[in-house]
Amino acid sequence: MNILGELALWIALPVAIWGTVLAFVAGARQRGDLQLSAERSIYAVFFLTALASLGIIDSFLNDRFEYLYVASYSNRELQTYYKFAGLWSGQRGSLLFWLLFLMLFSTIAVWSNRRRNREFMPYVVGVLGSIASFFLIVLLFADVNPYERLGFTPANGQGLNPQLQNYWMTIHPPTLYLGFTAFTVPFAFAIAALLSGRLDSRWITLTRRWTLLSWFFLSNGIVFGMRWAYEELGWGGYWFWDPVENASLLPWLSATAFLHSVQIQENRGMLKVWNMSLVILTFLLTIFATFLTRSGLIESVHSFAQELRIAYIFLGFMSAIIAVGVVLVLWRLPRLRSENQIESFFSRESAFLFNNLILLGVLFAVWWGTMLPLLSEGLTGEKITVGPPFFNAVNIPIGLALLALTGIGPVIAWRRASKRNLKKNFTLPVLAGLAAAATLWVAGARHGMALATFAIAAFVMSVIVIEFFKGTRARAHIEQERWPRAFVHLIGRNRRRWGGYIVHAGVVVMFAGFAGEAFKSELRQTLDPGEVATVPSPIGHTYTLTYEGMSTTLAGANPIENVAWQVEALLRVEKEGRPAGTLTTARRALVAQEDVPTTEVDFRSSFLEDLYVILSDVADLRGALANEPEAQTVTFTFLVNPLVGWIWYGGMIVALGGLIAMWPGAPAGRARVPEPAALPARAPATAVTAS
Amino acid sequence: MPKHGRFFAGLVGVGLVVTYLIWTGVSETMVYYLTPTELYARVVDDPTFHDVGVKVGGRVVPGTYERAVDVHRFVVHDVEDEAVTFTVEYAGDLPDTFTDSPEMVVDAVIEGRFRDDGVFEAMTVLTKCGSRYEATPEGLAAG
Repeated sequence: MNILGELALWIALPVAIWGTVLAFVAGARQRGDLQLSAERSIYAVFFLTALASLGIIDSFLNDRFEYLYVASYSNRELQTYYKFAGLWSGQRGSLLFWLLFLMLFSTIAVWSNRRRNREFMPYVVGVLGSIASFFLIVLLFADVNPYERLGFTPANGQGLNPQLQNYWMTIHPPTLYLGFTAFTVPFAFAIAALLSGRLDSRWITLTRRWTLLSWFFLSNGIVFGMRWAYEELGWGGYWFWDPVENASLLPWLSATAFLHSVQIQENRGMLKVWNMSLVILTFLLTIFATFLTRSGLIESVHSFAQELRIAYIFLGFMSAIIAVGVVLVLWRLPRLRSENQIESFFSRESAFLFNNLILLGVLFAVWWGTMLPLLSEGLTGEKITVGPPFFNAVNIPIGLALLALTGIGPVIAWRRASKRNLKKNFTLPVLAGLAAAATLWVAGARHGMALATFAIAAFVMSVIVIEFFKGTRARAHIEQERWPRAFVHLIGRNRRRWGGYIVHAGVVVMFAGFAGEAFKSELRQTLDPGEVATVPSPIGHTYTLTYEGMSTTLAGANPIENVAWQVEALLRVEKEGRPAGTLTTARRALVAQEDVPTTEVDFRSSFLEDLYVILSDVADLRGALANEPEAQTVTFTFLVNPLVGWIWYGGMIVALGGLIAMWPGAPAGRARVPEPAALPARAPATAVTAS
Repeated sequence: MPKHGRFFAGLVGVGLVVTYLIWTGVSETMVYYLTPTELYARVVDDPTFHDVGVKVGGRVVPGTYERAVDVHRFVVHDVEDEAVTFTVEYAGDLPDTFTDSPEMVVDAVIEGRFRDDGVFEAMTVLTKCGSRYEATPEGLAAG
């Protein structure tokens, strides 16, 4: 299996290069026979990559430590599902994993278009094949071959970092990688549009669902990562503005901008160059994110390697993407002219443009803050870093402006909003926002940014609820349907629009969750068994936590999973004097990794807040493990995190909205049918037929 | 055209606000990231550097960890020059990956203030077990 897998990579490279060359020749010469062969090479590379991936998984499952990669990220004691996840636990496997998803999506894209859109397909296949070739070259020639052998077989592997041994490890990285790789398809179609000269909205319509799919996985992947950090990293937060977290956020920001700006092109035939640039930028950022995550270029808790060779190869590839993108857009510039012009500052086009600009502003700020150590060292020789205070200072105000636009964009009229349109749509929501802020002020909240967030959140939520209400009422009236039925049909009729509103609602809920952090409280206390800590909640009630004592586990005695030793502190919780369960927080180490202990936190979630406990310090760990009665003193950190649950609820709402928007079967282009009157009379025929 | 004027003013406004936020954000929160050797050179040149918050990347010297009441103390050396060392004092919770075991190579990124008395008063400590998870063939042979 492993020999086969290794061989598969070596065969895949010439096949991928051959297919790429054939596809471009087929495009230039209009040769259908060559094109067919090129498409088959995509399927072949997918098959070969799958073989190579299976070989790696097989090596992990069978403890083949003669492979450097397996020996570095696994050991005999590792649980089976983490061995399975070995494919993506380190840099070498991750690159193969990336390629596997890329080829999966390439195969789906090529197969589903085998009889359609033939004018694009040679170039689409060519672009997909080039990217596959790049990753194969990296895997085989950049010292990152997952099949590299050690030359001897160690008795055991080094094991997987215990902090990664959390069930999110099997979920979060694949989700994110699905998001990264799915965006390759819209990119390939965009380049194909540029090369083939078919520059109307066709490529956008074709890849709309791909873009949504990529965005859906990216969003979920980011939220999963936050949840993982919250559960496992043990500091009570979910986002640290770590370079790798930032890296995953960058393509999400530009993909979000792209999702919005394509609507302007579809409706008004504007922003063609802008959309091309955004699709190229987003693809570039998915490569950049992969590169940053797995290159160790910038210090981060996630990074794995420090090799510079792969850094240069990736930099070369990214430069090539930029160069090709710029040259193609400049070449086609005369044919990418806008069909219309912005007519008014108060219009949906304008709101969408500002949305784009602000998203790119956030993107630039995050990129700048992440790259500052490298940039400053390159420019001045001194390494300068910025941390969470920088990102919060910059992104909170910009983020709030963006949130406000979430409420304005969808209801402001296309082309030119009248005073009446503005007044009619925004009076009630603005009042709702002011009322929310006033209520919280009266309740004692004094944090300016948080109050602003809640006010804007209430404003946007009202806009969305009113839209749903109006839509349902109109439909119930016209179709003579009951309200629940009318509501479901309303969404079904135009899923992209209403799914989008649901996504907005989820984002609003998430922002409220972020703002909750402004009110969090923290208490650090050293307790002996029987002692009590009183933790005040910002919402007004009080938690009483009694330290009941410690229980120890040693390997062999009571084997839970593959724990070598564990001390676990038990806390009895009372909320306002009433029993509210127990919490346990532990310090433990795994077999064969005894010297790398981890802290296991625990928390009690309710709708409005989480009570989060961390075992900060065991005064005498050796004594505690020997069950000595005087060695039970423990220092706890207690956190009350208001509204943190709303981040996860919001994430689920976003996912639901995303699913509704992209679920297959919706008639393509139905989205804007109710608004033909808004289409400008002078729109050329192409724009109309494409929509 | 006035409506375009207003539109472009808006665009430029957003650009300026973002630039301003980044500019002030960097200048108010930036921290120098130095090696121990660079840090010593800096404080010799400019003694006021003792008052500035800095971030230093070093390697934990095995066997130097001790804990006093409410403070952890350990020594780090320059990754490239083991002779350059200083003591770190830290009152917070050390990360799980921290150890001074001689079997491990632990790189620490510490942020805080380098006091006049030559002790680094850390506000945060991040650690990474360099050799363990980025295994080298030599490391595997030894293990």
